[in-house]
Amino acid sequence: MAEICQRGMYKTFPRSGKNTSFTHYCPGCGHGIINKLIAEACEELGLQDRTIFVDPVGCGVFTYYYWDAAHISAAHGRASAVATGACRARPDAVTIAYQGDGDLGAIGFNNAFQAASRGENFGCIFVNNSLYGMTGGQMAPTTLEGETTTTTPFGRDPSLTGHPLHVCEVFAQLKAPVYIARVSVADTKRIMQAKQAIRKVFEIQRDRKGYALLEILAPCPTNFKMNALDAAAFCINEMEREFPLGVFREEGRGMGEEERGKGEEERGKGEEASVLSLRPVPHAASCHDLFLEKDAAPAAVDDPSFPERRFKFAGYGGQGILSLGLCIAEAARLERRHTLWFPSYGPEQRGGSANCSVVVSGTPIGSPAVEHPDVLVCMNQPAYERFAGDVKKGGIVIVDETVPVETRPPEGVRLVRWPAIRMAEEFGVPKAANTMMLAALKKLECTGLSDGSLEKSLVASFKKKPALGEKNRELLRKAEQTEF
Amino acid sequence: MVIVDKENCKGCGRCVAACPRKCLRIGETLNAMGIKAVEYKGEGCISCGICFYNCPEPYALKVEKGTGGAQK
Repeated sequence: MAEICQRGMYKTFPRSGKNTSFTHYCPGCGHGIINKLIAEACEELGLQDRTIFVDPVGCGVFTYYYWDAAHISAAHGRASAVATGACRARPDAVTIAYQGDGDLGAIGFNNAFQAASRGENFGCIFVNNSLYGMTGGQMAPTTLEGETTTTTPFGRDPSLTGHPLHVCEVFAQLKAPVYIARVSVADTKRIMQAKQAIRKVFEIQRDRKGYALLEILAPCPTNFKMNALDAAAFCINEMEREFPLGVFREEGRGMGEEERGKGEEERGKGEEASVLSLRPVPHAASCHDLFLEKDAAPAAVDDPSFPERRFKFAGYGGQGILSLGLCIAEAARLERRHTLWFPSYGPEQRGGSANCSVVVSGTPIGSPAVEHPDVLVCMNQPAYERFAGDVKKGGIVIVDETVPVETRPPEGVRLVRWPAIRMAEEFGVPKAANTMMLAALKKLECTGLSDGSLEKSLVASFKKKPALGEKNRELLRKAEQTEF
Repeated sequence: MVIVDKENCKGCGRCVAACPRKCLRIGETLNAMGIKAVEYKGEGCISCGICFYNCPEPYALKVEKGTGGAQK
């Protein structure tokens, strides 16, 4: 016997009790109706086994308790960004982002808009109830002019808070989307239209045609402070006046999967190709291509006899602090030690305080953070004052001789003052103060790394300017002749 | 016929308003949640399914082809 009943959802929803099978939505909520339609479309098209839903923050957050398919929960506003990752990582999947108007229209607008502009292969179902539902009915970008919310108690005043945001109309300016439409779930006729549109979004994803956006006007009786029927009437009489229903884009101008990566010969056939469209589109590079294949570093070799050494390099940005740390880390890598380099600096490119931590170890390293270094290199006074007290007993502090040492480092810590900056100036290369510091590290034999790899690493750090590499090697050797 | 699971009904009344044959109503008795759930009047259902699609709850209503209704 044919039966009209719910398909595509779990039988029970354990969120609010072991055997409950009702949702968390308020009576008369549009989300409930939409959730049912989405589950049904997913099941009817046989896509449950390969659908990934990206759940939002907002009232729709618990959809992972309802839809019987794969789910990823995104941070607020990030569903479209997460869906981008999901649909790229799993091109065989049907990816659907489910977002509300606070989520997509406000904090996540750029995520959604850029994903649409790129024509990502996912469907975005955007529930517009004209306010923030879960947090208690505050104004959203989609709130109507004059609409009362908890943050617009006298009605939304466009002169203060702007006009309602028309998401479909804005997205319809983009080239890539293949389908953009606005539907409603206010009454039976509209629900049936929404059902067809939701099905279409799934079909577009099933056939990998490109990005689809479906905006659904939904009643929120609780925050409209109305009963379910008045709230539905509000959708029809008020919301539709601001947000007319309709299809804003259907097929045509979008760039589907087949188009992607096609060279100049294929695309632009039959039409006059612009200069831009003649540019071949490179195939998307995978992480594997980017990081693992070319120039792959040889894997570190475990050697428990090599004790872990923790370094801190500190000074101001521009003194070559981060480069010096990198140089040590690179030398360690050349010797196939486990190593981590961890920079820390402010928003400034130059002039702000900068430091970096380096860990070199014979065994895998847990944390890159260095709180108590074995070796501390300080190029200025603030760096010395900040970090000298943290050095481990038996450790060593190397400071530039220009740094006034007013407080001694802790007992058992050796202090070395070294004329790095002065030497670099004397040698005519003031920027090489960090290389002078490397000379001290080498001379003091406190890195546990061979002279050969330190020099090799130094030269390698000037890969783009080979002459400077040689010059620095020369300066390094010269500096080593200096006595402490 | 329409089958109501009153424990899953939240009593919003959307189905009552949407039913083309006006064969649903809000009942007088409370369900376990303390809600006056919808009930079938006992006759008139044409199994169109409109109530199901208007209902925000997945399992409050289902419709079997045939006439008459039932209360769970």
